[in-house]
Amino acid sequence: MVSVSTLHAEPVPDTVLMVDDNATNLQLLYQTLDGRGYKLLVAKSGEQALNIAARAQPALVLLDIMMPGMDGYEVCERLKRDPVTEKIAVIFLSALDDTSDKVHGFHLGAVDYIAKPFQVEEVIARVDTHLKIHRLEQDLERRNRQLEILNDRILQAMGEGIFGLDRKGQAIFVNHAAAAMTGWSESDLTGSDLLDEKADGARMPMAECVTPSSLTDGRIHFVDTASFIHRDGSRFPVEYSCAPIHEDERITGVVVVFRDISERIRTEAELKRSHEALQKSHQELLDAQMKLIQAAKLESVGRLAAGVAHEVKNPLAVIQLGLEYLSAEGEGDETEVLVIADMLNAVQRADTVIKGLLDFSREKELDLAVDNINRVIDVSLQLVKHELTQHNIRLFRELDDSLPDLDLDANKVQQVFINLFMNAIQAMGKDGDLIVRTTIQDLPPGDSDLPSCEFDEAQQLICVDVEDTGSGISDEGMAQIFDPFFTTKPVGQGTGLGLSVSRNIIKLHGGEIGLDNRPEGGVVARILLPVNKGAKDGKETNTAG
Amino acid sequence: MEKKRILLVDDEASLTRMMRLNLERTGKYEVREENMGSRAVETARQFRPDLIFLDVMMPDTSGDEVAAQLQEDEELKNIKFVFLTAIVTKGETEPGGGEIAGRTFLAKPVKTEELLACIERFVG
Repeated sequence: MVSVSTLHAEPVPDTVLMVDDNATNLQLLYQTLDGRGYKLLVAKSGEQALNIAARAQPALVLLDIMMPGMDGYEVCERLKRDPVTEKIAVIFLSALDDTSDKVHGFHLGAVDYIAKPFQVEEVIARVDTHLKIHRLEQDLERRNRQLEILNDRILQAMGEGIFGLDRKGQAIFVNHAAAAMTGWSESDLTGSDLLDEKADGARMPMAECVTPSSLTDGRIHFVDTASFIHRDGSRFPVEYSCAPIHEDERITGVVVVFRDISERIRTEAELKRSHEALQKSHQELLDAQMKLIQAAKLESVGRLAAGVAHEVKNPLAVIQLGLEYLSAEGEGDETEVLVIADMLNAVQRADTVIKGLLDFSREKELDLAVDNINRVIDVSLQLVKHELTQHNIRLFRELDDSLPDLDLDANKVQQVFINLFMNAIQAMGKDGDLIVRTTIQDLPPGDSDLPSCEFDEAQQLICVDVEDTGSGISDEGMAQIFDPFFTTKPVGQGTGLGLSVSRNIIKLHGGEIGLDNRPEGGVVARILLPVNKGAKDGKETNTAG
Repeated sequence: MEKKRILLVDDEASLTRMMRLNLERTGKYEVREENMGSRAVETARQFRPDLIFLDVMMPDTSGDEVAAQLQEDEELKNIKFVFLTAIVTKGETEPGGGEIAGRTFLAKPVKTEELLACIERFVG
C-alpha cells in the first residue's frame, strides 16, 4: 500500500534571500522582515546570490535589479535556468519604475515587482503572499507527484492489462501487465494507434477490435470474448471492459481493462472434457446396472422356473395319465372324446411353457462336440419343413460350404435355429421368403445395429443371418425382444422365452445374437460365432486322416 | 407268461395311482405303489419288482438315496430302476428314457406310452 502521509510535511520556516549591492538597503529589508518567522539570508552580489540560492534553496528571492557585475535580470535568468533553483520565487526590487522593465522581469520568470523606495507594509504583504503561493504551489506539486506515483503504482500493480486510448485510438497510457501480455514495451505502445497497424505493418494489440463504442455512447461496455494480437502476430483470447474518460463533459478517450483468458478457456475445456467423461462413466454405470438388473431378473426367473416346474409337473402328470386312462377306458360319445383331446392338448401346452422356463433357467452348460453349423442348420430346416410348406414360404438356403467346424452343442444350437425359423414363419403368416445365409467374416460386420460385440481382432467369425419378409418389429418391441416373457404372438402361441433362451445358448458359445428390421421389410436375425482354433485344427486333422 | 412286476415310488399318491391304472389296463403288469421314499427299499424287498420307477425329489428320502441303498443291497442290486423327474425337460430325455450320467430319466409329465416304451426297453 502506498503511504500518502508525506503529503503533510513538517512546516519549516520559509527562507528568504535578499540580494542588494547596497548594504543600507539590505539592512532596511532585514529589519522589515526580521521577526516574522522567516529565515533571512543576504547576498551583496549576483554571484553570491546564485551560490547561496543553490545551497540554501530559499523559497523567495528579493532581487535588486541594478547591481554592479551580474545584474538582477541575469541572476533571475540563471536561477530559472538551473533545475535546482528554478522553483524559487523571484521578486524584483528596483527604483526603475518603467513598465517595460517590469514586463522584462516577468518574462524572465519573476512573480512580482516591488518599487523602491518600498513601503514596509507592501514588502511584508507581497512577501507573505508570494511565500504562501509558493508554499501552496510546492504542496500542490508534491501532491500531484504523489498522486501520479500512486496512480502509476496502482496501474502497474494491476494484473489486468490497461490501455488508455484517446479518441483516435492512440495509447495515452499503458500499464506493465498490458505490455507484458502483448509482448510490446510500454514505450512502444504509448502514442501508437492500438486499433490499427504500425507503419511497418506490425498489427497492434486491438487491430481486430471494433472502435470502442464507449467513445460514442459514453457507456461502459464489457466484451467477454475477443482476440488481442501479440507482438509476434499470434492471437490470444481476452475479455475486456471499455470505459469512457470524461473531461469537461466531453469524452476524450477510453480506458480498456483486459485479461488474458487462455487459461480460463483451457480450464473450461478441461472441465467440459472431464464432465463429459464423467457423464460417460455415469452412463456406463447405468448400463452396467441395467445389465445387473437384467441378470438378476434372469436369475430369479431361473430359480422360479425350477420351483414352478417341480410343483406343476406332478399335477400335470396326474392329469395326463388320468386323461389317458379315461380316453382308453370309456367308449364315450364323440363329445367326450373331443373334451379329453382338448384337455390333453392343454396339458401339453402347460408343459411346453414349463419346458421353456426350465430351458431358460438351465442353459448353463454345453455338451460340446466338433460340428458344422451348416449341418445343424440343415437338420433344423428339416424339422420346420412341414411348417414352411404349410405357410407357403419359399426357402433360400445360402450356406457357405467352406465354413470351418466349431465346437458346438448341436442340440442347443438346433433349438436356437428352430426358434428363429418358427418366429420368422409366424411373422410372415402366409406367403413369404425365408433366407438362411452363412458367411465367414474376418471382422464383426459393422453395418447395422446387429451384434458387434468384442471379439478378438484376429478372430474369424461365422455369421448366420436368418431373414424373413414379414411385418418387422416395432422400436418398442426391438428394445425388449430378448426379455424373458416378451412376446408379440397371440396369447397361447408363444411363451416369450424363445429368444432369451436362444441368446443364452449363443452366449454360452461365446457368440452374439441380434435382431434388426431389414430396410426392405421383415427382420434379420444375426448370429455371430467365434471360430476357435481348436475346432479348425480338428477339421484339418480329420480331412488329413 | 408271468406278469412283469413294476414298483412305482413317488410321494404323490394320485400320480402313482394313475400310472398303476394305465399300466394295469394293459394286462401285462403287476403294479405296486409306494408313496414313502423311506419305505421304498423295504417294499422292493417284499415285492421283488422287475423295474422300479423312482421319483427323484421326495420329502423323506430322495430317489437318489433310494437308488444308492438298492445298489448296496445284495438282494436288490440287480433290480433296474428309472428316475422320474420334473427337473429334466423332455428335450433331454427320449420316450424310452434318456441317459444322464449313466442313469435313465423320464421327464414328468410322463405319458403312458413313454412308461410302456421304457418298460419294454429294460425288462422286455
